[in-house]
Amino acid sequence: MDLISNLALGFSVASSFANLAFCLIGVLLGTLIGVLPGIGATATIAMLLPITFQLEPVSSLIMLAGIYYGAQYGGSTTAILINMPGESSSAVTAIDGYQMARKGRAGTALAVAALGSFFAGTVSTFLVAIFAPPLTEVALKFGAAEYFSLMVMGLVMSVALAHGSVVKALAMVVLGLLLGLVGTDIYTGAPRFTMGITQYADGLNFVAVAVGVFGIAEILRNLEDEHDREVMTKNITRLFPTRQELKQMIGPVLRGTGVGSVLGILPGGGAILASFASYTVEKKLSAHPEEFGQGALAGVAGPESANNAGAQTSFIPLLTLGIPANPVMALMIGAMIIQGIVPGPNVVSEQPRLFWGIIASMWIGNLMLVVLNLPLIGLWVRLLTVPYYVLFPIIMAMCSIGVYSVASNTYDLFAVAFFGLLGYVMSKLRCEPAPLLLGFVLGPLLEENLRRAMILSRGDPTTFLTRPISATLLLLSLGVLILVFMPQIRKRRDEVFTESDA
Amino acid sequence: MTVSITRRLLLGAAMALGLAGAAAAEYPERPITLVIPFAAGGSTDVVGRIVADRMSQELGQQVIVQNVGGAGGSLGAGQVAKADPDGYTILMATVATHALNPLILKQKPYDPVADFAPISLLVLVPNVLAVNPELPVNSVQELIDLAKKEPLAYASSGNGTPLHLSGELFKAMAGIDVTHIPYKGSGPALTDVLGNQVPIIFDNLPSASSHIASGKLRALGVTTKERAPSFPDVPAIAETLPGYETYTWNALFAPAGTPPEVIERLSAAAKAAMADPAVAERMKDFSATIVASGPEELAEHVKAEMAKWEPVVRDANVSLD
Repeated sequence: MDLISNLALGFSVASSFANLAFCLIGVLLGTLIGVLPGIGATATIAMLLPITFQLEPVSSLIMLAGIYYGAQYGGSTTAILINMPGESSSAVTAIDGYQMARKGRAGTALAVAALGSFFAGTVSTFLVAIFAPPLTEVALKFGAAEYFSLMVMGLVMSVALAHGSVVKALAMVVLGLLLGLVGTDIYTGAPRFTMGITQYADGLNFVAVAVGVFGIAEILRNLEDEHDREVMTKNITRLFPTRQELKQMIGPVLRGTGVGSVLGILPGGGAILASFASYTVEKKLSAHPEEFGQGALAGVAGPESANNAGAQTSFIPLLTLGIPANPVMALMIGAMIIQGIVPGPNVVSEQPRLFWGIIASMWIGNLMLVVLNLPLIGLWVRLLTVPYYVLFPIIMAMCSIGVYSVASNTYDLFAVAFFGLLGYVMSKLRCEPAPLLLGFVLGPLLEENLRRAMILSRGDPTTFLTRPISATLLLLSLGVLILVFMPQIRKRRDEVFTESDA
Repeated sequence: MTVSITRRLLLGAAMALGLAGAAAAEYPERPITLVIPFAAGGSTDVVGRIVADRMSQELGQQVIVQNVGGAGGSLGAGQVAKADPDGYTILMATVATHALNPLILKQKPYDPVADFAPISLLVLVPNVLAVNPELPVNSVQELIDLAKKEPLAYASSGNGTPLHLSGELFKAMAGIDVTHIPYKGSGPALTDVLGNQVPIIFDNLPSASSHIASGKLRALGVTTKERAPSFPDVPAIAETLPGYETYTWNALFAPAGTPPEVIERLSAAAKAAMADPAVAERMKDFSATIVASGPEELAEHVKAEMAKWEPVVRDANVSLD
């Protein structure tokens, strides 16, 4: 079997002493920067690029990949502990993970996230190994019309994210869409809502908005009412999930892995949807949808598996096409070119040691992450006992450094402050930040692809219905919409709303 | 306008005289920041990092790369224009920052000539006109004939980029109309052409090269006057449309007023870096032609480029606020 011999080659490359060491350095660094709120994988990899000049190509890419998926692990830690998601994927984890932490189940949430991620990482690594070339063909079938319909589905799903009123959720989605409009119109070059500030010409920075509406707003809220925090730190009963909780997470993890693997393949926005989509699926399937938003285990297990699976499968377009699915992947391409490797469809055949070595190292790295993170859970949870007058200033400083490091843009820091205040006002009005973020991320993609599809079809809107993949996605969105507004479900929603209001 | 430029020059000259004795003796005595006005990972970034690494060895001081992306390169270039002219902040400029943006932008964040001291024109990078193999054309002429019969569209890395304008220049010279589909960068544009969502693309040769080599894209012509050494079988567009010539270039600039001794030192270091066989090898992989000019040639080059693009920008009616 080709696959076995290829994987054997990969593992022989990845398990050399030096490569194991670089893998470990990568995942350690990744976990660390993931835990520091705001400092993302992009900034770290950019800073480390010069160092990789001196390394073997395989070792340097193994290390950079390790930073990337290590940061995904670490990012969930801050989302759960201090409601501070560093990336769009962990924004969903923050919803229920943070509620679990407030109820003294921080350890459980962290363990569930780590185990779910490990399982998803293992499965999707094998998916990459077996299906990389055929899956690429699927990704190429996605044109502007298909992406538009996919984004429509994402937005419809986002309404289900909220655990309050549908109207407020819709309002937040729309606000997010509007914020997403800030920046240069890519078709005409006209600046929109930039208030004449060139620094906003490329739009608002996602990290700045996320850190603001989730993290800074939460700090403001906590300062106002200190009792919450005391309760949270005293209630920690045990660190690891019980057997029953482990059983509960099997379904969500399996489904999350499936959803994440599929969406991760699509370059340009697919991976963003993975954790949101998984959350929606879990909420719809759950026997107790009212628990979502109040600390549901499935609300952590599903999205965490989905985001890790998506992170792994987003390597598929990178390795088989040489096309980056996100900024981190763009950096990896830069690293390959600097090493004299031309990324593209020929990497698999011309550089089998590199290709299979990286794939094998992903699995090894995931294993290292679980081994590293499970014992660390106790330490992370102890962080919560640090008095707020020490913890909050540190978090604020870290956030500011992290946000600034993304693009060396001081205006991003103004955005953090503004969105912190906005987030605080929103929490007073009982509006959820998650739908806002989803609207913010999906809005520009929705618009860009809608207009591109219309230009390509010469103004004929039936293009969305005559292309089969696009039509299927739109039908699915319609289905979700009907589910959301079906009377019975509405009633259930209203009950939840009253409960959480009480 | 004239007054302010003159004043700036005088000020710069005065500073240069004042600093010359002290600074030039030991320059560089601390790390130098090379501002790359685009996000990390792109082609300018890669060229910049390779050069920065080698120049660090030449200068005996670390050359640190700082990516200041945004507004098509204008943010980073504007930042260097305003930096202290002491040789410790330099810019990796491109055809976008020093020819196209100043012509296209209505609000000019900097003057590409008056605000900068040229150091060295490093490399020229060809662009390429390529099509999805399912489009039934094998040459530039066949593409022009097809475009006269049926509506076609081409993808580029964005509005006002060198690739967009290469496409507009092509349309104008061939007398055809092809719909422009802008993307956010070259990656997504390539994806859609590989998937045959859009049939035609203008791209940098380095970013398209592996797809051309593997046959997933059919290269019809390179945009340089002569064929590219890395693809001797691909004709130049100029063979069909005489006079057609565009390319992307990378050059180093310091803020205006940087002491001439410092410029000399940097220019010599850049030349030495580009002469390194390892660097030359990387640039060849990258389909880039090494120029490694002196400051005067770069100054001439900027003027020539602005003169060349001015009518294209005007005719294509591209303008950004």
